[in-house]
Amino acid sequence: MAVKFFGQFLVEQDAVTSEALLHAIELQERTNLKLGEMAVTLGFITRQDIEAAHAAQLSKDMKLGDLLVELGFLTKDQLNEVIARQKATHLYIGEALVKVGALTPDKLEYYLEKFKADQAPYIAERIELPSWLQENGSIWEMTVDLTYKMITRVIGIQFRPGRYQESALIAANHMIAAMDISGDLNARYLFSVSSGIQKAIARAILKEDDVEGESDEILEDTVMEFVNIVCGNVVAKASQMGTTLDINPPVTLHPPADGLKVPEGYRGILFPIHVGDGETMEMALFVKQ
Amino acid sequence: MKKVLVVDDSLSVARQLEKIINESGDFTCVGHAKNGAEAIKMNHSEDPDIICMDMNMPGMDGLTALRSLVMLDKEVKVVMVTSLGGVGDKFTEAIKLGAKNVISKPFEAENVLNILRAL
Repeated sequence: MAVKFFGQFLVEQDAVTSEALLHAIELQERTNLKLGEMAVTLGFITRQDIEAAHAAQLSKDMKLGDLLVELGFLTKDQLNEVIARQKATHLYIGEALVKVGALTPDKLEYYLEKFKADQAPYIAERIELPSWLQENGSIWEMTVDLTYKMITRVIGIQFRPGRYQESALIAANHMIAAMDISGDLNARYLFSVSSGIQKAIARAILKEDDVEGESDEILEDTVMEFVNIVCGNVVAKASQMGTTLDINPPVTLHPPADGLKVPEGYRGILFPIHVGDGETMEMALFVKQ
Repeated sequence: MKKVLVVDDSLSVARQLEKIINESGDFTCVGHAKNGAEAIKMNHSEDPDIICMDMNMPGMDGLTALRSLVMLDKEVKVVMVTSLGGVGDKFTEAIKLGAKNVISKPFEAENVLNILRAL
């Protein structure tokens, strides 16, 4: 029911043991050379060049390959050759499991098909975004899309997604749960709900029919947990797309009556989620500029 | 009946897991720790057979606590429960540090119990 990577799926299916998976991962780590190591193997640079580039990375927010080119250690053509060689020699986890004898090629094919079917619900659909979000558009589209999918799967309520709105603030609501996303991209994910939606989330997370007697602390905690589930799965999906993200534990916000302002240095985008019955739900992203 | 300690900063997840564990007939929940440091203390006082632990917690996080727990107690079996289970690097790190398995959120009761019964 969650975004998974293939090795985890195989352990869950009892197709391989966690020990066998570990052996295969160790084989992958020995086989799949990092960019700098591959450039050294191809004779383009030395280990001292990598160390110099790593030192320069402390003051420059650049990927190692681009920095090696900027520092004059690699030409653009050599960088492309290194990347092409990395792709051509990449050992995938399924292949590694076959090599260590944990899976037969037939079983690998069988489980790959099963994995594709299991993960099919998490293939992102197109979401309209403003031009300033296009640079990492596929990640933000996936974030919005996974929010919609998790509303259906975890909360189980009917809704209609609204068109995005650019805004300098989020309107006040019963509560907002938020989570900071860092790594290759920096943003704050926010999920704003009315009282009725908060209770719907609580019923779903606690698997209880009646949550009227629950404390505010528990009710708020369930919304934070929903945000944690969404953002954790966003990080998992992003890692499959080659983007490294991390998350901090979620927090609860109670904005003032005039709304929660987008902090300086960030740009805000809101995605209204229409649910009817006088209830309101909205997701928002404050993206660092 | 095997004893299970739940470690999660989220009260709602802890309640969900406690319910699944106590209604299983095979396991009993012996307590709830809210972070890694509490988990280490409660592992000593409650002596659980299994620990179900969140990865992303304030204070001492799950992976730091996992490292200490498996070093201090060779018998205890730790299963990580996390929304980050699908991140290959996080899954691998947990298994390398000694976790027996990783349960991804959102989870179903059947999935949790299958993993606990297989330990």
